[in-house]
Amino acid sequence: MAPCGIEPFPDSEIARVVGLLELLEDRGGREDGYKIARDLNLKFADLLQVMKTGEVLSFIATPAGDVVLEPLGSRFLQSDVNQRKLIVREQLARHSLFAYLARLLRAQDERSLSREVVLEHLAMLLPEESPERQFRGVVNWGRFAELFGFNQDEERFYLDQDTAAAEGPKG
Amino acid sequence: MPLLELRHVSKSYPYRKGQLRVLEEVSLCVEEGDFVVLVGPSGSGKSTLLRIINGMVPPTSGQVLYRGNQLNGINLECAVVFQSFALMPWLTVKGNVELGLEARAIAPAERERRAGFYIDKVGLDGFEEAYPRELSGGMKQRVGLARALAVEPRILLMDEPFSALDALTAITLREELLDIWQAPDTPTHTIIMVTHMIEEAIELADRILVMTPAPGRLVRDLRVELARPRDRRTEAFNQLSDQVFSLIEERA
Repeated sequence: MAPCGIEPFPDSEIARVVGLLELLEDRGGREDGYKIARDLNLKFADLLQVMKTGEVLSFIATPAGDVVLEPLGSRFLQSDVNQRKLIVREQLARHSLFAYLARLLRAQDERSLSREVVLEHLAMLLPEESPERQFRGVVNWGRFAELFGFNQDEERFYLDQDTAAAEGPKG
Repeated sequence: MPLLELRHVSKSYPYRKGQLRVLEEVSLCVEEGDFVVLVGPSGSGKSTLLRIINGMVPPTSGQVLYRGNQLNGINLECAVVFQSFALMPWLTVKGNVELGLEARAIAPAERERRAGFYIDKVGLDGFEEAYPRELSGGMKQRVGLARALAVEPRILLMDEPFSALDALTAITLREELLDIWQAPDTPTHTIIMVTHMIEEAIELADRILVMTPAPGRLVRDLRVELARPRDRRTEAFNQLSDQVFSLIEERA
């Protein structure tokens, strides 16, 4: 864990994580990690990254080289796209990095920050990670969960309206 | 009357001093609600066939009938999803999805409604203002899919839509495509897809049209009776996959 208690977010594509869940479901909920990599012709390091993301979201567990579909992962698969977003949103809200950024944004009058400032925070909090890469992951997952938005033209990172409304009074 | 019918369609291009025959005597029917997958190696003319169906390319001889009428020019009741995504880099996700609607002179209010509806359908809510360069391949192809669906085509044409994606992303998008195809609240229930991946064809199709190259011919029209969702590890799946493979092998 980083000194300030903020964990990096393993940046894997949403669609890849979902693909892994689908595959596990097809295989009865459990499979050997190396078999998945072999069958799909994936580099094991790439698969590991996807597995880490699935684990952070509590969709899978990885006991002793196996990949196991967790109840939340199954529930995610049974859900429609809007429920899926909600599940991811709940999970991300618990993740230290997303929680930190949400708090940071709520503290701004405009509920937004420039990309530069967010990159500085990321560099400070997670000195061993690439800030650009962390930012990309946060924007992608944040957009999917409708937790955060990012406007490329203005380079503004902001709290999604719904998030701002739902959590505004507490912040 | 079938939704779409091809009668003895051939296509050749001038090549050096002669003609290069790309497609020879292809005849087929597609019914409303079919999920048809054209499978074959490169050079079997499957992408050309898709373009002929859409009206982008006229056949050298033979006829394309859409709801009984001969097709002349682009079929506006078809929309295409391309392998390369074909997105405008200077437009946002929303802009890209609306582009096809603008081109078809759909009023701004309706454009807005449909773009929103289909962006939601393909899971791109939250990404409306993102530019293509900010998106992964899987997300880009979702934009391509939303753009095609937004014109509410009777037939969705897909040219190797998942070939440029990694294996895990492709699994996800195939599942999502099946959901959309079966969704009661969208008017697009007929899909014609091109792929060179036999397993992909078996996983998705009601019917597999097997094509062989030089020149491109349709050698078999196979109905896939396996129950959905289809498990790649079953014996029946394997048998079908072997059957398609040997049909292609025999003539390659």
